[in-house]
Amino acid sequence: MELLAVTIGIVIKSLIFIIGMFLLAAYLTLVERKFAGHVQQRPGPLHVGFHGLLQPIADALKVLTKEDIVPNFVDKKLFYLASLMAFVPAIMILAVIPFGEPIKLFGLEIKPYISDVNVALILALAFGSISIYGVIFAGWASNSKYPMIGGLRKAAVLIGYEVALGFALVGPIMLAGSFSLREIVEAQQGFFGAFIWYQPLAFVVYLFSVLAETGRTPFDVQEAEAELVAGYNTEYSGMKFGLFPLAEWYIATFVLSALAVILFFGGWNGPHIFGALSPYIWFLTKLFLVFMFLLWVHWTLPRYRVDQITEIAWKVMLPLTFLNIFITAGIVILKG
Amino acid sequence: MVKVKYLERPKLNTAEKIFFLDFLNGLKTTFKNLLRKTITTRYPYEKLTPPKRFRGTHAHRVKDGKEPPSFTVLEKFMEINEGESRCVACYMCQQACPIPTLFKIEAVQLPNGKKRVTRFDMNLLNCLYCGLCVDACPVDCIIMTDEFESATDKRSECVIHMDDMCERGVSFDRRRYNEPDRIWIDDEVREKLWGQIRWTYTR
Repeated sequence: MELLAVTIGIVIKSLIFIIGMFLLAAYLTLVERKFAGHVQQRPGPLHVGFHGLLQPIADALKVLTKEDIVPNFVDKKLFYLASLMAFVPAIMILAVIPFGEPIKLFGLEIKPYISDVNVALILALAFGSISIYGVIFAGWASNSKYPMIGGLRKAAVLIGYEVALGFALVGPIMLAGSFSLREIVEAQQGFFGAFIWYQPLAFVVYLFSVLAETGRTPFDVQEAEAELVAGYNTEYSGMKFGLFPLAEWYIATFVLSALAVILFFGGWNGPHIFGALSPYIWFLTKLFLVFMFLLWVHWTLPRYRVDQITEIAWKVMLPLTFLNIFITAGIVILKG
Repeated sequence: MVKVKYLERPKLNTAEKIFFLDFLNGLKTTFKNLLRKTITTRYPYEKLTPPKRFRGTHAHRVKDGKEPPSFTVLEKFMEINEGESRCVACYMCQQACPIPTLFKIEAVQLPNGKKRVTRFDMNLLNCLYCGLCVDACPVDCIIMTDEFESATDKRSECVIHMDDMCERGVSFDRRRYNEPDRIWIDDEVREKLWGQIRWTYTR
């Protein structure tokens, strides 16, 4: 009976998280389009609703009602699987991300996270690595040259930066002494307790890796629209196409920004100036700022060449993370 | 033989390499742009007035007393009332046009021996808006206006005729005849953009 209650609770919570994430991702598209517009001195979406506030709904309607064309030369099973493989792992990372401390509401203890496992960080990394299959499958199953090149490029970039990302996270883990994201947050108390002050090198590597993983601009070779038509999703249309950018540009970026906030900016820690809601407000504010910073970088920088990107990953980022690990380990040993 | 000038790529110094100073410069530029006002014209709701020399839909000037001297010479052979098109059917516009077949000009001789233009049609679907017909016109009749919204539902509506060209010419002259003939609104605008203008080049 208790198991049933727990299961129902988790299912309801997961549904809330997934639906919330969908709505949020839809509105993150609007945020990105507005931001990109103003960076280029255009207003962005303006006519649907007040300053384009209903634009995501109009876009969703358009994408969902569009004709879904599947070319007859594709590998059908992989073709259908690929869009799911890109999308599902990105949203699965949400399962381990805590958004705040448990609160008491109407006598019930409500935990603002789905599960608090002690290997949360490893799980998040694993889910992030699975999404690479979506890209490779999409590139291979499309049976066409541009998706193929795009998929291969993305695979090369992802493999390089997954390694750097994994090693960059070792620093904060050593300082906190735990893989659990909740305990990592609890290890960072106070303004100068945030790990960004102790792990600036790891943070820079993490930022670069996030940009590469989510395919944002300095590393967006997989869908370089000037060379490859649209990269690995050239042959897709309708909602199957919509899932790729939704997963990669919005959900993955959002989730990885949440991880950045948890690992480097002290999560929901902050002065209690908003009362009971203050942890959530702090967490979402930090999250939004990190997300906006990633957008800012995206709409500023030009694109690297493919060989330069992998070169940076293996020759610069990886040694930097090793250096960071050695320094951190030495300090941890010396200070006990 | 084309001369090629080879340029060295600027080398980054150590500080720039370590702290991504060029990245930060780029970020600063985009942030400045973010705070600037947008320059978009929200087209269907607000429309820019094109400069007077804009080459839009064609029009005919009418006989209104402002004709050039060449018209007064030709006028005595023509049957043109006040307020009618001052076209004399000389076919110069058709001669100058790169696609002459887009003009359909017809004129008849009246019993009193004078000439009257009965038809002046232009098929704008073929027109490339080069403005050669305007230059060729000896009586300053055919002009190009600032109207640019010439899209229609039917192909037949893209053919313009003498009467609606006259209307367009009257309205264009009413709005913009007295405007000085220059591209920018004012020389001050040009000076703001490009600095002080030196009309004579001195070494």
